[in-house]
Formats: sequence, structure tokens, C-alpha cells
Amino acid sequence: MDELRPVKIVARVLNDADGSAYIEWGKNKILAGVYGPSECVPRHEQSLYRAVVRCRYNMAPFSGMEEHGRSGPSRRSKELSKVIKESFENVIISENFPKTQIEIFVEVLQSDGGTRCAAVTAAAVALADAGIPMKDMISAVAVCKIDGKMAVDPGKEEDNFGESDMPIAFSPRTGELLLYQMDGLLTRDELAEGLKLARDASEKIRKLQVDAIKKVYEEPKEERFLIVK
Amino acid sequence: MPGELLSDRADRIAYAFVDNGKAYSTVVGLFAEGKLVPLEGPYEPLPEDYIVGIVAEVKFSGYSVDMNTAYSAFLSSREIRERYSMGDAIFAKVSMVDEVRSVEVNDAKKLPEGRLVKVSSVKIPRIIGKKNSMVDTIKSATGCDIFAGRNGYVWIAGKGNANLAEQAVRMIEVQAHTTGLTDRVAAFLKSESGKQQ
Repeated sequence: MDELRPVKIVARVLNDADGSAYIEWGKNKILAGVYGPSECVPRHEQSLYRAVVRCRYNMAPFSGMEEHGRSGPSRRSKELSKVIKESFENVIISENFPKTQIEIFVEVLQSDGGTRCAAVTAAAVALADAGIPMKDMISAVAVCKIDGKMAVDPGKEEDNFGESDMPIAFSPRTGELLLYQMDGLLTRDELAEGLKLARDASEKIRKLQVDAIKKVYEEPKEERFLIVK
Repeated sequence: MPGELLSDRADRIAYAFVDNGKAYSTVVGLFAEGKLVPLEGPYEPLPEDYIVGIVAEVKFSGYSVDMNTAYSAFLSSREIRERYSMGDAIFAKVSMVDEVRSVEVNDAKKLPEGRLVKVSSVKIPRIIGKKNSMVDTIKSATGCDIFAGRNGYVWIAGKGNANLAEQAVRMIEVQAHTTGLTDRVAAFLKSESGKQQ
């Protein structure tokens, strides 16, 4: 019940983005790109005190099954863009870059439940790769309740047929929760158990994130390619 | 790594922040002897920095200069005797940066015809090298003039082998975090220039 799907993270995969990362989390395949800090347009949205953080979460039209696989603006993608943006607003030291914007783009190429956690995880790596100062590198994981038991990292079927689903993003340094949503119902005890499971799992995810960034510098490459083995 | 503990005391370290009396990193970098060197990051203009910029706009009282950041610099025509047009490359010194990052530059000089190589600004110290060692190596091997701006623009000019100079700059950018780089670049330049003759 504390088993994660196989996770693979590759950092620095795009040539023209300031920072980028690709993640395979079970059957999820997600690409994250970070641009910025650059001049904030439209100008009326810029702040004299900090950088504006923007996020666009998008699913490719071929990305998934049933109602999940819809591209373009939708209620769901708006919501995810918002929660991802708000998670990162907590850690990015945006006061260093007044009048600018930092843009995070998340493209879901293939989806299988838990895309928001995978997206947050990949975007954190992309931000670190871009060298944008952050107080912490976020990692995220979901927990769920299936057949009355708490389990970590639900796939699409487990999510749809389970009783409850709870994605959480952690700041590993302080243990703060930066994203915390819940579908369905949980008792207090189940919630506490779920949090503990998620915390342990996020430690593992963090290790993979750190490894992905280290690998960029251990094997320096002139051209950035995305090769999935 | 962002959020990694650097020091148990509230030391003031560049690219780090202090929380609860302890210092933590904010960037991916190399930490040694109390100094954190970032491996990637945007350019933050500082007074006295020498930059390479491209004239982006000619205004009534001066020029607006693109310098690879979110902020464009202003060059007042009162400070200079030359005239520039859009697209000219200049080498200038940052004279003032204020709290909303309005940047002013002066001491401008028009750069001769050449090519622009964009690299990450944190790698410029490696391209210049200790006491210009790296730049001198490339200059003597290729016969080019090289102007490395602190903002991450490198201007390669002159009649020398500009292709080779550009390759060398790119090589330094990719391997900036490794040791013994000057020797490797010298060896690379030697073998390459041998091939081409």
C-alpha cells in the first residue's frame, strides 16, 4: 500500500526553455518548461515588488482516456493551473525580480491519474534547472482510500473506483503542505495515516528530483534531447 | 539544491536565505569554503558590471539596450560621443541599478562587426577565466577579439576563426562546472586548428 508507480525524471530536455523537465510516472508522461524571469506582459499585471508567477497546465488531445483527455481551456485545466501556480508562489523568491513574470508550462502528453502531482514534481525540477531562486524544491504525491484502506499514489482506475483521493504537495525542508485537495470523504485517522504515507513517498520523489538535476551536470551535453529508454 | 542546508548558523551567503537561524540554498549550485556558486540562473545587473548589449530602440535622449534580462538598460546620449542605430552591439558599463531594476549604462563603445553568442550569465566568469586566462587562450588560438559581457552575451569579432571561437565558448558553457577546463580548451583549440589547416 506504500508502493509508488515507477517514476523517471529527466531534467533539461528543451533547448529554448530556460529550464525544463520530463517525467514519467507510471503511465503519465508530462513535459514541463519554465521561461523567465522576463518582462511581464500585459503591463497592468506586473508588480513593482515581485515577479508574477504564471502557470499553464494543458492536456494534449491524445493524452488520455474519456473525459480526462481533453485539450484546451476547461474547468479542470484552469483549476490545475491555479493550484500549481499557488504551490510555487510559496517557494519562489519572487522579490528578487520586480516587474517580471515567471512562466511555468506543463503539457500532459499521456495521462493516467495523478497528473497534478507529477506536474508539480516536474515543474519543480524545471524551475531548479532554470536557476530560479526557490526556498525549496517541492515534491508531490497523492494518497487514496481503496476498499477501506489507505494507499499511496493511485492510478486512474484506483482513483475512479476508490472511495477517496487526496493529492498533496510538500515542501520537504519544512514539511509544509503547499497543495492539499481531497475528493470523497476520510475520517481523521485515515487522514493522518494518508499524510504519513504521502510524506514518506514524497521523500522518495525528492531523491529522484535531486538525481535528475545532478545528472545534468554529471553528463553535460551540448544539445538537449529527450530520449526515453 | 534549493532548500538544502548550507550552514547551522545564520551566515549571510549569496544565493542563500536564512530561516530559523540556519542558512539554506535557493539554487542549484556548488558550495565550498562558505561560498555558493550557482550553476544556472538569470542575470541580475549590478553596478560596475561590463555588459554586451544590443541597441533595441533609439529614443530622443538616448538608447534602450537589450541585455539578455527582463530589464532593458538605458544609455543616455549625453554620456557618449558616438551615434548608434538599432541592432548595433555595444560594450558598456552598468552605472546604476535601482530597486525596481531600472538600469542605466555608460562608458559605451561600439563593437566591431562580429557575432553574438548567448550563454548563461553564471558561466561568464569561467569564460573569462582567472586573470583573463581563458579568453586569452581563445584569442591567441583563433585570432578573434572576444568581448564577454557579464550579462551572458559574448561578442566574437575580428578576422580570426570565429567558428572555432564559438565552439570553444559553447564547450566552456557546457563544462563550466568541471575542473581543469583551461587545459582542455587549449588542447581542443590546438587539435581543431591543426585539423583545419
